[in-house]
Amino acid sequence: MMTREIYNRSWLAYLLLLPTLVVSVVFLYYPAIQAAHLSLYETLQFGTVRLWTGLGNYQHLLTSSDYHSSIGVTVLFSLIVIFGVMALSLVISYLIYEVSVGQSSYLIAAIWPYALPPAVAGIVFFYIIHPSLGVLTTPIEALFGVNVDWFTNGTQAFIIVTVAVIWKQIGYNVIFMIAALNNVPDTLGEVADLDGVGKFKRLVRVYTPLISPTLIFLIVMNTIYAFFHTFAFIDILTQGGPGGATNIMIYDLYRNAFEFNNHGLASAQSVILFFVVGILMYAQLRLSDRYAHYG
Amino acid sequence: MHGTLGFIVFVMAFPILIAAIVSTQEVGIVASFGDLMPGSHLFENYQTVMTDYNFGVYLLNSFIMSIVIVVGKLAISLLAALAIVYYDFPFKNLMFFVILFTLMLPVPVRFVPLFNIVTDLGWYNSMLALTIPYLASATTVFLLRQHFYSIPESIVEQAKLDGIGPFKFLFYVLIPMSKGMLAGVSVIMFIYAWNQYLWPLVIIDSQSQQVTQVGITLLQGDIQAGELQWSIVMAGAIITLIPPLLALIAFRKPLLETFGVQQK
Repeated sequence: MMTREIYNRSWLAYLLLLPTLVVSVVFLYYPAIQAAHLSLYETLQFGTVRLWTGLGNYQHLLTSSDYHSSIGVTVLFSLIVIFGVMALSLVISYLIYEVSVGQSSYLIAAIWPYALPPAVAGIVFFYIIHPSLGVLTTPIEALFGVNVDWFTNGTQAFIIVTVAVIWKQIGYNVIFMIAALNNVPDTLGEVADLDGVGKFKRLVRVYTPLISPTLIFLIVMNTIYAFFHTFAFIDILTQGGPGGATNIMIYDLYRNAFEFNNHGLASAQSVILFFVVGILMYAQLRLSDRYAHYG
Repeated sequence: MHGTLGFIVFVMAFPILIAAIVSTQEVGIVASFGDLMPGSHLFENYQTVMTDYNFGVYLLNSFIMSIVIVVGKLAISLLAALAIVYYDFPFKNLMFFVILFTLMLPVPVRFVPLFNIVTDLGWYNSMLALTIPYLASATTVFLLRQHFYSIPESIVEQAKLDGIGPFKFLFYVLIPMSKGMLAGVSVIMFIYAWNQYLWPLVIIDSQSQQVTQVGITLLQGDIQAGELQWSIVMAGAIITLIPPLLALIAFRKPLLETFGVQQK
């Protein structure tokens, strides 16, 4: 039984909750319900006229090859981002974990991109890999024998965006991975040492399984990141192009809403994203029970 | 080991190092590694971007926005967590669920109607639009609730025996006992607020109200119109990066503790 409930004036409890509840209802619940409602209408003439269309918008999305390709791009993009971020972060975290001198300096040096504003990351990448004036353009052309031209080449655009997005997210993952590694009892590493298990093997066979709850948590967080928090990269680097090669779902939604004023269709896309978030959040809540040690 | 780590850290920092170097140059086009020499225009470029390209204003707006969001979130979340942990009242679990469920409703899920509501309230182009919709924070309420449960029950018992009122309890017991946690949450919220991009992009249309994250893309637009040097844009990029980076470095300890990292 909870003995912490030392106050019982219900009206005061509700008064304390009121600010949070008011903001939640007005700016979170109500617009979300509105989005569901709006998704049943067709918007015409720059959003000024609304016509009831029922599930028409959903039908349109389900049959639209552009939307299918946007889903495809989003899924592929998310998978590469999740795998890339986790693999790189794991190696970096492990190296930091293994050094005995200067660990906290390396930790700071590795986690700073967590604070990096996505718009800054986008602009800087746009500049250093610019087809004609980027400092990395010539070395990459020499190294891979390609002509860097991501303004018109869809595959290259996709690669540039993915690399920038992975780079930005490593810091966040390192924070959690170092936390998990530090919770592994030291004796386990020592036993592996005595058994003559190599460093890399030890990471794969001993540490990765032991910190798997954290890794699962990070998979969820990285998926949310890839789906929703990469908007600035797309907007600054490629604007969804060329030819839809980087047109992830959130960018497509934004364009339908604010470029084409197709509010009904954009709202239907919001509802679809709601179910995506729902599945991810459900996974996260189920997993956070296993991973719950906030300071 | 140190060599590998040093190399990795260098590669990760490389793009920003280039941005920093370019921001000191006069011309600001770096087409080969030979051009990577710090220039002598550091002061001049930063001054230009701050005054001629509005970054002074953007920066101020970003600061006001972030601080209002952090303080507002902490204030109303502390009240909510106080109610949820220390009060016995009907529908308590339902209320907690109503708050927690907002995690399912990020901006993309309620994009168009949120824009309409904020516009109908007359908040288009204003600081209110940038801050008020962000004040409710399921994450903060959740973290504070967890933290309050970790405060020893004997302290709570003592407060009850002494007959301390809820606000005295909050200010003299809970807040002082949660300092590290509150600092950690503040840094997370500050970085999150500072790095907002999508929402300011759609809800702010006036240059005098814009925040620095969007401001920097306005500079990029000027480049394409042929009006600007890259060195100025990179100065803007560095300026935009510094506040969240300083917050991270200065408050790394509470931040890492909040994330659950025990440093060796």
